[in-house]
Amino acid sequence: MRRPEEEEEEEEEEEEEEERSSPGWRRIPINDNADLLAEILGRLDGRSLAVAGCVCRLWSALGRREAVWEAVCYRQVAVAGASAASGGTRSVVAALGGYRRLYRLCIGPALDRLAGVRRRQGPAASAARHVSLSLALSLFSIDCYERLGGGGGRQQQQQQQQPRPTSLLFLGQPVDVS
Amino acid sequence: MKREHPGSGVLGGGDWYGGAVEGEGQEKGKAMMGVGAEDEDVDELLAALGYKVRSSDMADVAQKLEQAEMAMGNGIAASDDALLSHLAADTVHYNPSDISTWVDNILSELNAPPPPLPPPPPPPRFDDSSSLDRQNRLLELPLVTRRAPAEVYDPKPAPAPPAARATGRFAFGSDSQLDVAPSPRDSKRIKFCSSPPSSSSSTTDAATSAASPLPVVVVDPQEAGIRLVHALLACAEAVQQENLKASDTLVKQISVLAASQGGAMRKVAGYFAEALARRIYRRLPRGGAGSSFDSVAFDDMLHMHFYESCPYLKFAHFTANQAILEAFAGCRRVHVIDFGMRQGLQWPALLQALALRPGGPPSFRLTGIGPPQPDNSDALQEVGWKLAQLAETIRVDFHYRGFVATSLADLEPYMLLGQDTDDRVGADDVDEPEAVAVNSVLELHQLLARPGSLEKVLRTVRAVRPRIVTVVEQEANHNAGTFQERFTEALHYYSTMFDSLEGGAAAAAAADSAGGRDLTMSEVYLGRQICNVVAHEGADRTERHETLAQWRGRMTSAGFESAPIGSNAFKQASMLLALFAGGDGYRVEEREGCLTLGWHTRPLIAASAWRVAAG
Repeated sequence: MRRPEEEEEEEEEEEEEEERSSPGWRRIPINDNADLLAEILGRLDGRSLAVAGCVCRLWSALGRREAVWEAVCYRQVAVAGASAASGGTRSVVAALGGYRRLYRLCIGPALDRLAGVRRRQGPAASAARHVSLSLALSLFSIDCYERLGGGGGRQQQQQQQQPRPTSLLFLGQPVDVS
Repeated sequence: MKREHPGSGVLGGGDWYGGAVEGEGQEKGKAMMGVGAEDEDVDELLAALGYKVRSSDMADVAQKLEQAEMAMGNGIAASDDALLSHLAADTVHYNPSDISTWVDNILSELNAPPPPLPPPPPPPRFDDSSSLDRQNRLLELPLVTRRAPAEVYDPKPAPAPPAARATGRFAFGSDSQLDVAPSPRDSKRIKFCSSPPSSSSSTTDAATSAASPLPVVVVDPQEAGIRLVHALLACAEAVQQENLKASDTLVKQISVLAASQGGAMRKVAGYFAEALARRIYRRLPRGGAGSSFDSVAFDDMLHMHFYESCPYLKFAHFTANQAILEAFAGCRRVHVIDFGMRQGLQWPALLQALALRPGGPPSFRLTGIGPPQPDNSDALQEVGWKLAQLAETIRVDFHYRGFVATSLADLEPYMLLGQDTDDRVGADDVDEPEAVAVNSVLELHQLLARPGSLEKVLRTVRAVRPRIVTVVEQEANHNAGTFQERFTEALHYYSTMFDSLEGGAAAAAAADSAGGRDLTMSEVYLGRQICNVVAHEGADRTERHETLAQWRGRMTSAGFESAPIGSNAFKQASMLLALFAGGDGYRVEEREGCLTLGWHTRPLIAASAWRVAAG
């Protein structure tokens, strides 16, 4: 989906032309206004955002901002109950690895899987199949736990240095874009 | 032989198993016979096997078959199988699929010349190896035009083994007619007019007339599937009757038949055959399954792979966590006792949920119980370490204690309760009592192996006054009744289980090596359970699964009442299943406040929650 960037570029070009033609228009170079850009990028879906991160260094930096990915996550999942983006959630997610990682490991593959199911079964498929934030976080925490490794213990039997976490394999192999 | 039949409620989910049931038979019959209008009144089941018998004629045909059997059987005779050889060699049979006229044919042959008759065919039971020899021969006979030589199903209720009858599969146990029909017929088909049967002993029978076995066989896998199930059940019956010779032959036969199948059925049959062989030859692994020390780590590894490859354990964990979370609402100090700690995979999710709950996380204490380890490694402590690390990152006050116990019955309440205040800081904490939850995932059934253990454990649980007790167990009855009943029940259960593994694996089969390994290891995991259910007895048989209804009875008589699991858990479970590849086959059901997860129509695992009954 290269539409957003294209649109943005086109807008800029249009505005440049317009500026020359009609002095009423003001020029807003999007790259000068990082927060605005971040706000815009936060409305993309995950894949598009990842692609947007390949445009230039600025966009890449913005594309790694936790806030941006947080917005993406919340847009994609069903959040039960009130406290959507409470500070508590933020710190927990940050501790577990961050929203970007959350999306990459749990939400993204889950959405893909559900889309596949919907494709196969047709749009009128049974009950609302969506991913809930709590479920995604549970899976995320299990994955984080699996990566923790041996901890204090084992001197004699050193398994692999980095135990390969496998509890999320059922979601399919996520592509490493880090 | 997997069929997609979510609607076949009668079957209870074992897809490939359903060949014998009427609905399926009907379909098969139609598919195979290319049935036209004139065959409408043909009996469907027999039609599926290639025989045309009009339903109206059934009783008649049955009677004639009986007569034929008696005629062939009546008689003495010595070693002279002249009649049968006569039937085999000299008579001409047309259209064996039309049983009615064909039997007439035989009867006329039998009645006309009264030569000395061969020794009586074995009684309609499977404990005579001669009929088994025949079965073996049948396997070896090559096909000419039709499919595999099918058994003639006894249209009237034969003295089938009670267990098989109870499960509603009326095709079983009817091999009684095998000895009558096929041998001369088959020999006719192949035109083995050669030598008269060698009749040295009374146990070698007429089938030897058709004996020179041509190497085999194009056997229709569906036919073979039915025969395989047949053979498995017959072997179980033979084992129950302690008929070693028969069971020995049958076990070998099962192996042969299993090789002709593919996929889940072959694996299930393989494991069951191995378990039966172990039972017959008494080559049991040391101790019960998993009780010998050097297999504890192996067990844990298998458990991990099972966890990853299919949703049952995840469902168990998430549902139990949800129940515990709801029970802990508003408590500032919580204590969870886990009866089967293993790798502690259940608890990160609960920790995270507690951290995120409105009002902030409580002070969390976890007591993990596990079996003794062979080497001096302290697996429980390491798991505790990892959980503590996780808890620290998400800022939950976490305390851990591990207990090593060979059996849960060794636990006493004081062990679980004590040390309330060791690490606590601040007097205000002491005022509020801890909220306790007890969690048992697939652990309680093992206690049934020793009488009194379960009662003691439940008393201990009651003594710690938990807010909630979550119990997850396999939904099957592998503990009551005779060996044969247990075997049949286990066959059904594990074949459904393997089907579900296959279904999930096939969808996720992108030849992911880890996925493939998970699948294999999960099968080994289940295979060990199968071996325990079938081959062990007494205190060694620890896989004593019971149904939800039975557990309900046990819990209520121990002083607990059911705490219904809320709809949140149900929704979460449904969402979880949607994420599993091949998740179309999985079904979550709510049953009187408990959740069950199953494959198609057969529930396989049940999660329930209990609290101490008031008064």
